[in-house]
Amino acid sequence: MSTPARTSEEAAPRPVVAEHQLIRLIGFGSGGEVWLAKNALGIYRAVKIVFRKSFSNPKPYENEFNGLLKFEPLSRRHDGLVDILQVGGSVASDYFYCVMELADDAHTGPAINPDDYQPRTLGYDLTERRRLPIGECIRLGAPIASALGFLHQHGLIHRDVKPANIIFVNGFPKLADAGLVTEMFKTRSRVGTEGYIAPEGPGTARADIYALGKVLYEISTGKDRSEYPELPAEMGNPVEMRDLMQFNKIVLQACRTNPRLRYRNTEEMMSDLLAFQFCPRGLLGEKNLPVYVGWVGIFGLLVAASIVFLLLWHMTLRLLHPE
Amino acid sequence: MGDAWRNMFDENQFSGQGKVNRPMALPVEDFIPTRYSLLSRLQNWDDHESWKDFFDTYWRLIYSVALRSGLKDAEAQDVVQETIISVARNIQKFKRDRTLGSFKGWLRNLTRWRIADQLRRRTNAGALPTDIDRDVSDEWALPEIPDSNEAESVWEEEWRLNLLQVALKNVRGLVKEEYYQIFDLYAVKQWPAEKVARTMDVSVGKVYLAKYRVGALVKKEIRRLEASELQSQ
Repeated sequence: MSTPARTSEEAAPRPVVAEHQLIRLIGFGSGGEVWLAKNALGIYRAVKIVFRKSFSNPKPYENEFNGLLKFEPLSRRHDGLVDILQVGGSVASDYFYCVMELADDAHTGPAINPDDYQPRTLGYDLTERRRLPIGECIRLGAPIASALGFLHQHGLIHRDVKPANIIFVNGFPKLADAGLVTEMFKTRSRVGTEGYIAPEGPGTARADIYALGKVLYEISTGKDRSEYPELPAEMGNPVEMRDLMQFNKIVLQACRTNPRLRYRNTEEMMSDLLAFQFCPRGLLGEKNLPVYVGWVGIFGLLVAASIVFLLLWHMTLRLLHPE
Repeated sequence: MGDAWRNMFDENQFSGQGKVNRPMALPVEDFIPTRYSLLSRLQNWDDHESWKDFFDTYWRLIYSVALRSGLKDAEAQDVVQETIISVARNIQKFKRDRTLGSFKGWLRNLTRWRIADQLRRRTNAGALPTDIDRDVSDEWALPEIPDSNEAESVWEEEWRLNLLQVALKNVRGLVKEEYYQIFDLYAVKQWPAEKVARTMDVSVGKVYLAKYRVGALVKKEIRRLEASELQSQ
């Protein structure tokens, strides 16, 4: 989301958003504007307004509205999705809008000062910090993968997963901008953001997984998505390097050029992310155990087998010769 | 990374056990991918995809040459922008007039003039406007910028590096990602083979194999780009 300078004081006519006061234009989403607004209780919200005139033909405008209607009830059922709190306008009118929970401020967190509010998105974090520790990448990737999985289970796809569309609400990452959400396989139109679009095009769950993989690549390596799959020259200390290389396996699995070689679904991806979080050295097929552990295991098995054999032999002898 | 790029095409390195980092002798002819079809498509200003393709291919070359000419980052970015605009405005003329020479030479001149514009702006505090319509046929403009051997060699060097970059970018999507990562760490970033093997959890032999296979593809891609360039002459 870019942050333009225009304010509500400007002369341009503004749509009416029921029970909300529009305060300041804070960004542009797909096909519309995003405003900082305040409701009747004084709580700050984000309001996205989509104008019919932004589209050259009515179809994408209608698609966006229909996608929003499908997304709206689901959004509040998963913690990894930005809550849609209210939808207004209609497909027949010149605009429609949705009221959403507001992203944290980039500097003050949940405390919002409307005069210098700047939404905290992953894109913003990336600009400021360039690269995130692997632990943070996992804490961020897992809920977003889970949110995507939730959408996919309900027959929807996001089509525009990218750092700018991942916002933080009370410090928790959430998938935002439902503008391009649509029904799975319904459309193959070339939408999304270059570099995050899968080679075969958007419109499938695996294409969403590809986009998330690219996001994870950027935040874990600090490199631009166009440089994929290059690794950073500086990988930190041995532990950080080991973590990065393990995480790299998840990224590569998500971003395979051939969609059939990618994770089949977000559950598989999340499973690897969580496995890495709780047991980084064990569950990703890495041969981490020292050699002697293997030999000790074999020796232990032999001893156990010998004991069992001796016990059985002893019992057999006693049965055959009770005296 | 500079040395690594220059050494990438060392035959010894590609043969496995790298011994001498001797840069392979690359031909000096125009070999950047000025595909004839791409130049033709650029005549249509609305063909955004072709223009993006063109920008992606050449912006780094123009930017690097501008930086090496002593410009600052923001000035170099301006040079990129103004050079691309110059190309857009003059591409029709270039296509019509074959006496203007190769695309490489034409682009070099446009870049040099835009750099000169920036340098003049510095000294004249912006008093002189940029003449982005000027192209290679405007002979009066030539004496303004000294065509030193040094400037020529900078252009040649950056042209070659840019070619490698384009070839690597094209090959990147053709090989298995792990293979490319091994190749990148070993051949481009010049990590020791043992460190690459340890990092990627593979054998040292696989590191050499990846370098040989991906390197072969890169060389093949360069030959293809060179051939495309020659066709466009």
